[in-house]
Amino acid sequence: MVNGKLYEIIIEPRMLLVDVLRERMGLTGTKYACGTGDCGACTVLVDGKPILSCLTLAVTVRDKNILTIEGIADGNTLHPLQQAFIDNGAVQCGFCIPGMVLSAKALLEENPLPTRNEIQAGLAGNLCRCTGYVKVIDAVQAAAETAGKGGKI
Amino acid sequence: MHRVLLPFEFFEPKTIEEAVHLLDTGNAKVMAGGVDLVLKMRLRLISPEYVISLLKVPGLDYIEGNPAGLRLGALATIRQVELSQVVQKNWTILYDAVRQIASVQVKTMGTMVGNLCVATPASDISPALYVLGAKVKIAGVNYEKVIPIENFFVAVGNTILESNEIVTDILIPSLSPGARGAFMKLAKTAEDIAKVNTAVMVTITDNICTEAKIALGSVAPTPIRVTGAEELLTGQKLDGAHIARAAEAAAEAVKPITDIRSSAGYRKEMVSVLVKDALLKATSSGRV
Amino acid sequence: MVQKFSSVGKRLPRPDAASKVMGAAQYGADVSLPGMLIGRILRSPYPHAKIVKIDTSKAKKLAGVEAIITFEDVPKLPFTRSVMAEGFPAVAYEGENLDQYILSDKARYMGDWIAAVAAVDNYVAEEALDLIEVEYQPLPAVFDPEEAMKPGAPLVHEGYENNIAGKIEHPFSCGDVEKAFKESDYVVEFSGQNSRQKQAHLELDVAVAQWDTQGRVTIWSPCQNPHLAKKALARRVFDIGEGAVRWITPTVGGGFGARMSFGVEPVCAMLAKVTGKPVKVVVTREEDFAGWNSRTEQRQTIKIGVKKEGTIHAIKQKILSDSGAYLSHSGSITAVNMQSALGLFRSPNISGEAKIVYTNNPTSSGMRGYGNPEGAFILQQAIDMAAEKVGMDPVAFRLKNIKGVGEPSMWIPVALDSCNLEQCIKLAAEKIGWKKKWGGWGKKKEGRMRSGIGMSIMTHASGAGGFLLEHSHAIIKLNEDGTAHLTVSPCEMGQGILGALSQIAAEATGLRYEDIHVITGDTDITLFDIGSHASRSTYVIGNAVVNAGQKVRQMILERAAKKLKVFADKLDMREGRVYVQGAPEKGLGVAEISHDAIYDYGTTGQHIMAVGSFQSVSHCPNFQAGFAEIEVDTETGIIKVIKYILAHDIGRAINPQNVEGQLQGGTAQGLGYALYEDLVIDKITGNTLSDSFATYKIPSSLDIPEIEVILVEEPASSGPFGAKGVGEPGMVNVAPSIANALYDAIGVRINSLPITPEKVLSALKSKK
Repeated sequence: MVNGKLYEIIIEPRMLLVDVLRERMGLTGTKYACGTGDCGACTVLVDGKPILSCLTLAVTVRDKNILTIEGIADGNTLHPLQQAFIDNGAVQCGFCIPGMVLSAKALLEENPLPTRNEIQAGLAGNLCRCTGYVKVIDAVQAAAETAGKGGKI
Repeated sequence: MHRVLLPFEFFEPKTIEEAVHLLDTGNAKVMAGGVDLVLKMRLRLISPEYVISLLKVPGLDYIEGNPAGLRLGALATIRQVELSQVVQKNWTILYDAVRQIASVQVKTMGTMVGNLCVATPASDISPALYVLGAKVKIAGVNYEKVIPIENFFVAVGNTILESNEIVTDILIPSLSPGARGAFMKLAKTAEDIAKVNTAVMVTITDNICTEAKIALGSVAPTPIRVTGAEELLTGQKLDGAHIARAAEAAAEAVKPITDIRSSAGYRKEMVSVLVKDALLKATSSGRV
Repeated sequence: MVQKFSSVGKRLPRPDAASKVMGAAQYGADVSLPGMLIGRILRSPYPHAKIVKIDTSKAKKLAGVEAIITFEDVPKLPFTRSVMAEGFPAVAYEGENLDQYILSDKARYMGDWIAAVAAVDNYVAEEALDLIEVEYQPLPAVFDPEEAMKPGAPLVHEGYENNIAGKIEHPFSCGDVEKAFKESDYVVEFSGQNSRQKQAHLELDVAVAQWDTQGRVTIWSPCQNPHLAKKALARRVFDIGEGAVRWITPTVGGGFGARMSFGVEPVCAMLAKVTGKPVKVVVTREEDFAGWNSRTEQRQTIKIGVKKEGTIHAIKQKILSDSGAYLSHSGSITAVNMQSALGLFRSPNISGEAKIVYTNNPTSSGMRGYGNPEGAFILQQAIDMAAEKVGMDPVAFRLKNIKGVGEPSMWIPVALDSCNLEQCIKLAAEKIGWKKKWGGWGKKKEGRMRSGIGMSIMTHASGAGGFLLEHSHAIIKLNEDGTAHLTVSPCEMGQGILGALSQIAAEATGLRYEDIHVITGDTDITLFDIGSHASRSTYVIGNAVVNAGQKVRQMILERAAKKLKVFADKLDMREGRVYVQGAPEKGLGVAEISHDAIYDYGTTGQHIMAVGSFQSVSHCPNFQAGFAEIEVDTETGIIKVIKYILAHDIGRAINPQNVEGQLQGGTAQGLGYALYEDLVIDKITGNTLSDSFATYKIPSSLDIPEIEVILVEEPASSGPFGAKGVGEPGMVNVAPSIANALYDAIGVRINSLPITPEKVLSALKSKK
């Protein structure tokens, strides 16, 4: 189940989740950037938890709920995190963004009102080369405040 | 330079016994979180024909804490341990160690047992488990055994495990009331592997140290205890002078290497600084 | 009079942000064409070796393999990997060595490109790579530029005696430095080197290529200078006309100078040509680290002579650069180092010379700052040393010696017409509390933890007006509904240039920001432009957009004048509406004007559109002061940056949010450059040991200190709405200000990057 839809695909055990998502399902939002699990650009949520799809054998998550960046908007309405990233200037080249947004979503689901330090810690597995993280943390803080006022995360 | 893995057969046993029997078949590797295994396979450092996943064996992810001690199951993830109230309150030094692993994703995928089996000398959790007096339970074909964690590591990347054995539990005893511990790590950036890491545990009764344990990582092929330094603390008052002497002795006892992360000389010197800082932290904070 | 802008100066969301947060933005690796093959490259395991024999027979037999190529199959037309070089005047292009083929004739570094495969998928391609058998004859290799120049050293390229790839004399030398040193009251000399910093853009290099039946090729690849890349690929690599190449730039995942060189595009185009099918070439992160792009390692000595009243009397710089196996940008980046370092301060006597040397290290090239960060690390420490000799506060010493309006710019010595460096220095010094925190020279500090404060200043270009091909063109055409299409050719690599140009277009035309739609990234559609580098895009391309905007605005007003029956000069336009000055209720929407112009069945039918142009003749330098406050643990040598404050002379921030983002991001890269990033190459085997993010550490979210950005906005008369460049400068002041702060804290200077705890501790010990 990916983004709430059931897919039936024949795969080999050796296939990595990132490749299956990108090449077999056309979900190219999830990015491949290092292949060593160090940068977090390939992060997707499996049963709500952030994992590295470049080090996950697709076969091991075949009966789980996978959420990719393509799945977090509600139709045409952006998720509060997506909107906050846009509004706060947190998006530069955008390559880290899918993974960053999903890690932030997992963080806020576990800790709805994190301090700046807690946000930094929650995003420590996602490298960004463009922003210096300042506006990324601003965005997550802003999204947390919006959700606190009644929006859902 | 490879992006994809070589083909292999994939098995999902439902019990430990089944898993162990499958491992017995030859060029097979067991997989839990897979973080290290998949990477090594991509880099062609290992190429197993059979991968035996433990993920379908039910009930392996327990974290059970009670007055007798702490039991971590084979599939208990590092993140689960980090979030466990029981661990935070009663085995704080373990909590401090896992917290130093920065990547949430790595902690979510990676298991405690898996971290041990990778047997990197820079493991953050190993020194903590050393001073906690942990044991590992190993299952083989029709047998089980329990060994102290200090006998588990053999060399860089090598444990005492036979190719057809699996670690099923990490067992950690409860701590005595006078026990104080601290974990410290020196690394280049917040999410880097340690240049040096240390865990210390001292038991203090009536102002005197009755037991001292000092474990070091990243300074030898396996994590080590520095018993010479420990002996300098036993039966003593843990004042600045004794702590400094023990820290010096710890540094003298090690022969670290120079690698891409740091130099032998720096590591050796940092052992004395880190052990001193850890002992001071342990004795002042009152936390375990 | 305070101008009230409708778009410029506002923190508007960029037009490309939404698709990026949705995961919908298409990067090179996301491009997929029917029948597309996957291409992979075979790399040399030796740093220096003759290729005796390549046996591809086993690999060719593998089902799904469509082509395997080697040096034998490629055009014997050598080229330079630097695409940027196509924008150089002949005198500079002569310094670019054409030392590269699509695949190498000889292995010159560990990782050099020896063969390439195109197959139906990555699985088959990799299997084929493993089946290619290459017989190498390993040769002695050299990894140090000093060693490489010695007689008898292994020769990396034929025809380059002593491996000297190039020599540069600073073109703006003046006076007589040796005489001036003798006349100086104090002379300081400081030598050191920077590291091979990796650009480490998160998006890996990638290309897709497809030839059509008429001999035209389309390339999809991230590129900072697509028009130049198109020319280079056409004329240099394949010897075809420029019109035969179409370069499409997908969304780019970070550039930082890396996308100014050919990556895998020539190999990709060759595989596509040979197979007759579209091919996508991909690489691993390991290949990227051990490859063809990094900051050039430069060893420098800077000597400064000062008079006792604190004026600089002479400055001399000597540089030795390690080009690696192929020249790429190493020559030009060395030249820019000299220009930034030797042109920053006022001095009657200046001299500079540089040598660039081939070694069997991976190719180095250009990275953000392009020589400026390399020079600043040595220069700004030498400046502090000079200030100490004279007994002057570092702030005061710099203020005494910086140039102002009317004095010669650092690049081509045209007179500066916009310079607010003094204000930058004063504002940032005040903000960080310099007066309170800097305790004077030679103050001995006590305790395990010691604080320190240090500063650095810089200047950088806003494009290379007067030197490179700095003419730019923009097209604005109105649509029937009052929206407009803006066609420009920068490279949006995350800096926010598309948003900035849209804001400029909206302001210049009088349209609404949200009604501007940008068309870019296709050389078939956009007009010639040398692209995004040298922090030029806002200044040069922005001015072309202003020009186009003013023309379109005039056309709209003239059409509206006829409808409203008033003279055009009595009309104004704002936010998509034309109105009579002083009677704003009397007006028309742009949609009505534009629609009626097109649907004019009379004799005055018109599609309102204009091409705007701008020829930049000035580097219009921007300026910046950076201050770092640190704490040093004298027992571990670990430096913690508590606070970093910078003040940047931006002219006008078209979008302050984007400008802050560039400066914050540059600061983070500068922090990595200063403290963490170390591309380690084994000096015996030539193997790149730092080949992953596990071993090459860029800052994570937990490593960033408190960063404060001050924007000094005194509009530059030649900039679009007064704006100057800002893309690169964030990188420059960080390492030198930390190094100077370190000296303040513990009295030692570190002269190589990164400044590691190991080096700090070792220096502390030597001091005792």
